[in-house]
Amino acid sequence: MLSRTSTKCARAVHPPWRRLLATETVTQTPSTAPTPPPRSKKSLRPHISTAIILNRSPIITRTPTLFEQAYYAYQARLRRALHNPFPYDFYFKQGTLLETRFNIEERKRERLAFGPGFLEKEDVSEEKRAADIAAVEQLALQEGEGEELMPRTRPENIEGDVKSLDRRGKRNLYLLLHASDDGKDIWRFPQGDVEKGQFLHQAAQKDLYAECGDLMDTWIVGKAPVGVYKPPQPIGASQETAERVVFFFKGHIMAGQVKPESGNIKDFAWLTKEEIETRLEGNYWDAVKDILSDY
Amino acid sequence: MASQGASTAVRHSVTRFQRPPRITRRLRRNPKTGLPQPHVKITTREFAPCRLEDHSQTTLKDDLMYMTYKHEVGERPPPRQIRLRFDPNDPYTKFRHNPPVGGPQLGTRPAPPCTPENVVRLERIQLHTMVKESIANKSHLLGAMMQMRALTGETFQGGGHHAVEGIQITRGKKSVGGWLRPGVPVGVKVDLRGQSMYDFLGTLVEFVLPRLRDFSGIVLPPQSSSIKTPASVAGVVSFGLPANALVFFPQIEVNVDAYPKLYGMHIHFVTNATGVGAQDRARALVSGFQVPFIRR
Repeated sequence: MLSRTSTKCARAVHPPWRRLLATETVTQTPSTAPTPPPRSKKSLRPHISTAIILNRSPIITRTPTLFEQAYYAYQARLRRALHNPFPYDFYFKQGTLLETRFNIEERKRERLAFGPGFLEKEDVSEEKRAADIAAVEQLALQEGEGEELMPRTRPENIEGDVKSLDRRGKRNLYLLLHASDDGKDIWRFPQGDVEKGQFLHQAAQKDLYAECGDLMDTWIVGKAPVGVYKPPQPIGASQETAERVVFFFKGHIMAGQVKPESGNIKDFAWLTKEEIETRLEGNYWDAVKDILSDY
Repeated sequence: MASQGASTAVRHSVTRFQRPPRITRRLRRNPKTGLPQPHVKITTREFAPCRLEDHSQTTLKDDLMYMTYKHEVGERPPPRQIRLRFDPNDPYTKFRHNPPVGGPQLGTRPAPPCTPENVVRLERIQLHTMVKESIANKSHLLGAMMQMRALTGETFQGGGHHAVEGIQITRGKKSVGGWLRPGVPVGVKVDLRGQSMYDFLGTLVEFVLPRLRDFSGIVLPPQSSSIKTPASVAGVVSFGLPANALVFFPQIEVNVDAYPKLYGMHIHFVTNATGVGAQDRARALVSGFQVPFIRR
């Protein structure tokens, strides 16, 4: 079956990596490279910090929408109608219990797909059929089937508990901290300053541990930041104050839980994108909203 | 309670179907099989949600984009032209053999610029088995074909897709000293795409690899090996499974006695990565599906 994601990339007529043939002529293109803006004579070194967008990936598949359910049911029915004949002799020995079970289940699936009138009536006596069904049930008991699956939603006290990593299993969750910085109570991602001579991605890992404790297994994705945020200068600040720059890194949590270490962290929460929007300030939200997943 | 009843009713109405319409026009019969043919071309598409595809779309794609992104400013400079270019209108050079300047550029081809469209993704998985005995006797291929068929369920133009080739027979390409001749069948292969590809990958990662005792991961080449070989710019990750690993596939495990002999196979993960470092990007993708790698 062909993938819905496979797309054909349009090839450029002259790929840039190809060297020309000896007889080809080069068409001169005027260079349109923009000249860099003139730098101010004396600019202060900006104050750099890193923030980590710590993600808990979905732990269960999402529920298909009604349209998707209808689509899948229709396609499954088409497949069933068009499939090649199943080689019974190859997979089952004649007259075994496993074959009987497969036949009973297959008839059930056919009836579900094509309706009760589709199949011919089985050519077996009532007693034989009842005995078959009893034997198959016995087999299922022996094999320990019929265990109940875990529910796809947790009870309300877990779903609503923002500190639990088990809530909202179908969604991506992100860690948000409730911190008091400079006397202001705000929600923000884990954050810390970069020391001199430190790489950004190393600083990100260190800052995460410094604020959230080392009781969790985390992995910082890549060495390059995934986003940047420049907080607005506070009103009344002079021109000489250094610009603040926050680089965002993406991280994954594999195991463990947050245990706030530093005193200025009051609380933490694992939140979906919509829940994060209600807690962040406007500028900050605009900087991170495209990094967060809608699923 | 009432709303719950209503929602189940809605679900049933979209997943169940009424009686099919009565056939008013006579259906044409296929001259070969004698079976009735519908008036329209029927193709089937995804028939169930696919967990690994969702994973690759929502989690892997983002992470791989962040990990493989290379920042470039402006357009790339054109390659250095190292020989005089001749006038194409010159009758001397017009019809002469005119190879690209500077020798083969295969291993040095840079990767295309990073865009959201060409984030590395899995295009197909190819399974390939060579059956040596089939050179002497073609019928030895039947076991391997049946094994591939059980593993993948692929058939020729299965689901009405003309590009799906099912299980193909590979043939010898050149003559090898009294042993192999061109055109002689030597093995079978199958290409998996889309849903069946992800199904196979899930089975491999969850049922087979954890149960292999002496498999700790796909072996990486030593760090000193060249990164400019054709293989390392192709974006394909390959490894092999021996014949005794095949019994761990649930499709084969159920009736392993039915096979006279099991055949090992090569597995190629073909990605869309190209250019320098393509194999590393392909490995990053494949390891995102929990296929382990080790370095000896």
